[in-house]
Amino acid sequence: MQALKFIYCLLIALLFVSACNPGFQEQEQYEIIYSMEEEAPQEAAFNRNQQITIAVVPKVANIAYFQAVEEGALEAAEDLGVNILYEGPVFANATQQIEIIKEMIQNNVDAIAVSANDPEELAPVLLQARAKGIKVITWDADTVPEARDFFINMVDPETLGRHLMDILAWNTDEKGEFAILTGALSASNLNEWLYWIQIHQKEYYPEMTLVEVAANDDDPQLAYKLSKDLLKKYPNLKGIIGNSSVGPPAAAKAVKELDRVGEVAVVGLSTPSPMNEHLKDGSAQIVTLWSPKKLGYLTVRLAYNSYKGNDPTDWQEIPEVGKIRMIGDTVIMGEPMDFTKENVDQYDF
Amino acid sequence: MWINMTSKLWGFKNYRLRTKLIVTYVLLTVIPMSLLGYIAYSQYSTSIEEQVGEYIPKILAQANENISNQIREFSNLPDQLYNSDQMVGILRKDSYQNQSSMLQDEFTFNNYLSRNFINGESSDILGVFVLSKNRIFQSTKIPYSNFEGTDYKDIYGQEIELGGEEKFLLPHQTSLQFEGNPPFVLLMKQLTDLENRTNLGTVLIAVDISFLENVIKNLNEEGKAKLWMMDEDGRIIYHTNPELVRSIDSLAVDYPKINGSFRTTKEEQNRLISLNYLDGTGWILAHSILAENLTERTDLVRNATIIIFIVFVLISTVISILLAWNVSSPLHRLTNSMKNVEKGNFDVDLSITTTDEVGILANNFTSMVTEIKELVRKNYQIELKQKEAELYALQSQINPHFMYNTLETIVMSVEEDEKDTVVEMVTLLGRMLRYSISNKEDIVPISDELAHIKDYLRIQKIRFEDKFDFAIHEDKNALRFYTPKFILQPLVENAVKYGMKSGQDGKLEVSVEWLQQANGSYVIVFKVKDNGPGIKPESLEKIQHMLADDPMIKKDSHFGLLNVHARVAMNFGSEYGVKISSLVGEGTEVEIKIPVLVGGSEESQNEIRKN
Repeated sequence: MQALKFIYCLLIALLFVSACNPGFQEQEQYEIIYSMEEEAPQEAAFNRNQQITIAVVPKVANIAYFQAVEEGALEAAEDLGVNILYEGPVFANATQQIEIIKEMIQNNVDAIAVSANDPEELAPVLLQARAKGIKVITWDADTVPEARDFFINMVDPETLGRHLMDILAWNTDEKGEFAILTGALSASNLNEWLYWIQIHQKEYYPEMTLVEVAANDDDPQLAYKLSKDLLKKYPNLKGIIGNSSVGPPAAAKAVKELDRVGEVAVVGLSTPSPMNEHLKDGSAQIVTLWSPKKLGYLTVRLAYNSYKGNDPTDWQEIPEVGKIRMIGDTVIMGEPMDFTKENVDQYDF
Repeated sequence: MWINMTSKLWGFKNYRLRTKLIVTYVLLTVIPMSLLGYIAYSQYSTSIEEQVGEYIPKILAQANENISNQIREFSNLPDQLYNSDQMVGILRKDSYQNQSSMLQDEFTFNNYLSRNFINGESSDILGVFVLSKNRIFQSTKIPYSNFEGTDYKDIYGQEIELGGEEKFLLPHQTSLQFEGNPPFVLLMKQLTDLENRTNLGTVLIAVDISFLENVIKNLNEEGKAKLWMMDEDGRIIYHTNPELVRSIDSLAVDYPKINGSFRTTKEEQNRLISLNYLDGTGWILAHSILAENLTERTDLVRNATIIIFIVFVLISTVISILLAWNVSSPLHRLTNSMKNVEKGNFDVDLSITTTDEVGILANNFTSMVTEIKELVRKNYQIELKQKEAELYALQSQINPHFMYNTLETIVMSVEEDEKDTVVEMVTLLGRMLRYSISNKEDIVPISDELAHIKDYLRIQKIRFEDKFDFAIHEDKNALRFYTPKFILQPLVENAVKYGMKSGQDGKLEVSVEWLQQANGSYVIVFKVKDNGPGIKPESLEKIQHMLADDPMIKKDSHFGLLNVHARVAMNFGSEYGVKISSLVGEGTEVEIKIPVLVGGSEESQNEIRKN
């Protein structure tokens, strides 16, 4: 009897001890032991339903180059699911651009990407936009640095300027007179290229002479007229460099019209489509450019990223574009491409 | 419940001491030990699980990092095509003037793929396929089947929009098979014409995923864990058990979506599962190990603990039983002895030799019982001696010789007509007889005893006439006190008897004194001194020896002397009693020492009565 009682006491003691076992408790199927990080932060900051609107403002509306940019921008907008407002002035004119930008600010866009016709004149309105919390970036042509976050340059201006000089030299046996057709004299990118063209000429091509720099304000009609004037004015002219995209087609057309094909080399910056014919019939030799579509695509991508707080970094891999470089606060999209009569068919812009 | 508990506790209170002790000891050992053991073990195994649970995801993350790097390299491979203007040129073409130029392009392109992909740096590429505008360019390392046969356009499409991202086709998503059936995934990437912004086609690169094995090999060295790579739906891409590749881990959907570890709690054998998400692909690297494998070493500890626990419990139980036995058994015996004593049996034999409280108790009990027994015996003896003394005294008075002598003396006095002497003798005799007979009291005033002796000596003096003389020295103080009855008579009788033999004039001195001892206390001393021949030293020694012996022992000779000594010693202690000194030719002196007895005081009354 005593022994039984004793065993009974022992059992109670054991039961008491084993009651501490957590196995008795009701619990989840899985017990988390360790988690390396907190739950991944939801992208709550940006409501998916909220439509982001990015305004892209080119220098001028109706030329092939900026139309190609628009295509790229729209492609990116579709990929990213953002809204694009693409509107440029009829003429490459800062005043009109300012009006358009003001309108964009009124429309409460989230980001503005502008190809500036004038770095100084646009600055106030862009600062105004920034003050309202709108992301401002520039592409193609820069403003003063204070007025924007960063600038998307297509190519390194030095590389491009030197390359433009080179391709002319290849086609003129490195000698003779030449002229340059530029866009607006106020456009900073064009001026930089001009600067490097002249440096390169002085360094490597002493036998070549720059006779005139004519500004056409990206107006095809004006460009054509200026080309003809140059050809008439300088009978010994050996080449024309079109420093902006309306230049080379106008120059080639003028060369053909004045029957100077084979005498005067036409090179420069232009999209392949308007140059296709000219390249093939020899009225133009080489045009060099980047893909404006890619530029448009990249611009929208970077504007979008920037709006989300991710500014571009050096050697960043941009989907569907490739790696970009950063020099200071300037993005370099890539290297210039040369279009010749052999490869011009591969490009559809 | 509470009442139940209380009544149990109450019940426990009434258990026997031994049971209580055993239960208490065992509980005191078992509860702390089992608690301690259990807590130590569970803490130990939990901490092992936690450590492993923390460690494995980090390893997995590291492995995933390596895999990520590898995959990033693979993802970048298609971009090589952009570097070749010629290849991009071919891809941009969508119409041909003649068959030969088309085959020429195909040849060029295939060559390019072989040079740059198959023979390139990466040995993990099994084959490359470029689907572009109804053309297939391809190059493979080993022969394949089932690719052309399928309507790949439907599956892989040429117009699919991947938005620049690469996509992985898992083994189950393609019927493509390579010779030898190596495990592979198809990396699919859209080729975009970056300049024209059009779709050039799709590149499919078959990547041998054995590289996963190399990366995660070290994770499964002992082969006890399962390791696999799956996509978000649980489709297994790679598994340490190759048979499971392409199957679906149906449990995966329920897994907590964490980079970390968790344990299952409801399976028969619980597992520790660690997950790590691979950025970009959404693949999950998973590691699963049975908890019991983790705690194998802990189990050893646990088993050892349990064995030690049991051994200790057994030992402590044995010890506690022994201890309880040790404590309770003497008590038990003590109780039994007490019961015996209660019944009047004073012959206890408690062989308890310990010096602890029980031992002391037992000792005290034993000595108490012994003392009681002794007292009982003593009392009995004293009673007996008293009776003996009375008898002796009576005997002395009615001693035929004494009576005869006395009566003869009386007769002689009558004859000589000494009326006064006759009267005196008869009076004395009568008084002596009365004193002897009136023995209601055990103690009497010293004066009474002295008077009795005086009577006796007077009779003797009258009898022996001039040949005998006596003197009694009384201390006035001493006369206030009391003395046991009949202690002087035997001595005086002896003195008369032996002191008178030599024929010379006998002189007897009796004195009673009230003396202060060295220690300050007072005693009464009676002295009986004669001038007889004395006792020979041998005899004296013998007598003294007898006196020093236990006064209880029955002696035949010197009966009177020894009886007095025994009575005094038994009543008052061994420091009291009879002392005898004698010199041959000089005489003998006998001394009785008794304590101061105050007749009327209760104290002395009690003392006497007690004895």
